[in-house]
Amino acid sequence: MRETLSLAWRVTMRHWDVYRQNFVANISPTLSDPLFIILALGIGLGAYITDIDGRTYLVFLAPGLAISTALWSAFFETSYGFFIRHTYEHVYQAMMTTPIGPREIILGEYLWVGLKGAGMSLGVTIVLLVFRLGDPLFAWTIPLIGFLVALACGAIGLIASSFVRNINQFQTVYAILINPLFFFSGIFFPLDQVPRFIQVICFASPLYHGVRLGQAALWNDGFGAALLLHGPFLLLLTALLCPIGWMRIFPKLYR
Amino acid sequence: MKATEMNSLSNDASGSPVVEAKDLRKNFGSVQAVRGASFSIARGECFGLLGPNGAGKSTAIRILYGATSRSGGSLTVFGLDPAREAREIKKRLGVVTQENALDEDMGVRANMMMYARCVGLPRADRGKRVDELLGAMSLDHRSNARIRDLSGGMQRRLVFVRALLRQPGLLVLDEPTTGLDPAVRLHMWERVRELKDTGTTILLTTHYMDEAERLCDRLVIMNEGEIKAEGAPREMIERYCPGTVAVFPKEAGLRERLVTAAAENPDFSWFEDRAGINVRGPGLAAVESFLGHHGMIPRILRPSTLEDVFLEITGRELGGDA
Ligand SMILES: Nc1ncnc2c1ncn2[C@@H]1O[C@H](COP(=O)(O)OP(=O)(O)OP(=O)(O)O)[C@@H](O)[C@H]1O
Ligand SMILES: [Mg+2]
Repeated sequence: MRETLSLAWRVTMRHWDVYRQNFVANISPTLSDPLFIILALGIGLGAYITDIDGRTYLVFLAPGLAISTALWSAFFETSYGFFIRHTYEHVYQAMMTTPIGPREIILGEYLWVGLKGAGMSLGVTIVLLVFRLGDPLFAWTIPLIGFLVALACGAIGLIASSFVRNINQFQTVYAILINPLFFFSGIFFPLDQVPRFIQVICFASPLYHGVRLGQAALWNDGFGAALLLHGPFLLLLTALLCPIGWMRIFPKLYR
Repeated sequence: MKATEMNSLSNDASGSPVVEAKDLRKNFGSVQAVRGASFSIARGECFGLLGPNGAGKSTAIRILYGATSRSGGSLTVFGLDPAREAREIKKRLGVVTQENALDEDMGVRANMMMYARCVGLPRADRGKRVDELLGAMSLDHRSNARIRDLSGGMQRRLVFVRALLRQPGLLVLDEPTTGLDPAVRLHMWERVRELKDTGTTILLTTHYMDEAERLCDRLVIMNEGEIKAEGAPREMIERYCPGTVAVFPKEAGLRERLVTAAAENPDFSWFEDRAGINVRGPGLAAVESFLGHHGMIPRILRPSTLEDVFLEITGRELGGDA
């Protein structure tokens, strides 16, 4: 087990090495996208919205978008990223000649998206805190939430990778799964007033639970209660999706 | 240092073969890529795995280092089963894969440093080992180049570097010299012999029969997933097509005369291929007297080679997979 982890870590380090070669180019959109949305919607649209549950729209948006970076970075990494590394660049084929095997490759992939998701959501949160768009008290929980959300969404990307026959088909996954996940996660509006069946569906979304936790943390509003309700759901969904992703992608790496 | 490492590798299970495959099988859906191949590779030998395109060579090799599962048969490498203990096996393996599969996202040296970490070289030794091997393959001046800026042959050499990062007990070479110029190929042969001299066992796949004849102690010829023949190169030439070949241009009248002449003498046979019409006899003297007797002058007179054996066994036609 220790050796498996150590070998998986080498896979993670490979991705980190590649990532940091173009660190600025890589990190800018991940950080700037949510910040621009926060600014544009928060200040622009927010001018027409008096408040939501007693918060300015700017403050309302902020935590959800911090958490959403975990979704984006994880999904792209294990869909397009994985597919390119696997099919076009043969990165894993070469790794398989070293003591690294399919198990370590998948584990390394999960570690990478998890840590990246944690780092990204933390990065955005730091910017938010600097601009006083959140309460620092529970901010330390954001990377943990980001980690779990990224694992779950990374698993969704891996599952997608196991089904697509060519890289263009990810667009379909993006359109019918990831986008709805993003817009119906409670980031842009509270889900209380949407139809009941949508609320029920949202309970199956790891992002929704992550967003609710992030909001409770950065608003410093009922964090304990949110932890009790959404914590177990987020853990459960992550614990469910990760093995499915594992089992789907394993035969692609070792057949 | 080299020698002691090699010795420690050969001590643990001395005498037993490094690779032992019995009735090895692999199906990809309905495609039977390997259909019951049995072979064994002794410690310290250079073993050739030959066969036409699609014969199942790369598949057999991939099973051997645990990159593909097998559908049947038994297989041990260093006494271990690749289906369960690939990791331990791969610690003692170097593989030159058929496809380069170099990491396009990194430069030359960064690539090798990454793989040095993957194979588990201690951090302190990585730089030294990588530079040493890049130097040995004359790639040190391209350390910072991007992979796609290297020529095909340079990329191939870099794959060699990758395979040698941790001195392997078994070096697996899947068409290692494809795309190399003659000088570099000679250089590679020399390196392979050097490695063999230090006790490395070698498994070689190649489409260059001269390469196999020169490097291999023993080889098998595979076709359509089955092993058709086995032996030392010279021995196989002696067994399957001994003697000398006279090559004639393809002319209808000449063909008739040759066929009749060859039919008269049981020691002679004929076949036609891209090179021309060929008559084979038991030896140079016999062929010369045969030609003199019939008053025919060939374009070329040459001894039989491994290529003749290969074509004899696998057929001269292009296979469905070619
Ligand atoms: N992943 C795969 N899925 C389906 N079929 C495969 C796969 N890999 C190999 N095959 C099939 O198995 C057969 C053997 O292929 P293999 O690559 O082992 O041949 P080879 O002897 O290495 O040929 P070459 O000299 O062209 O490299 C071929 O018919 C090939 O199409
Ligand atoms: Mg091959």
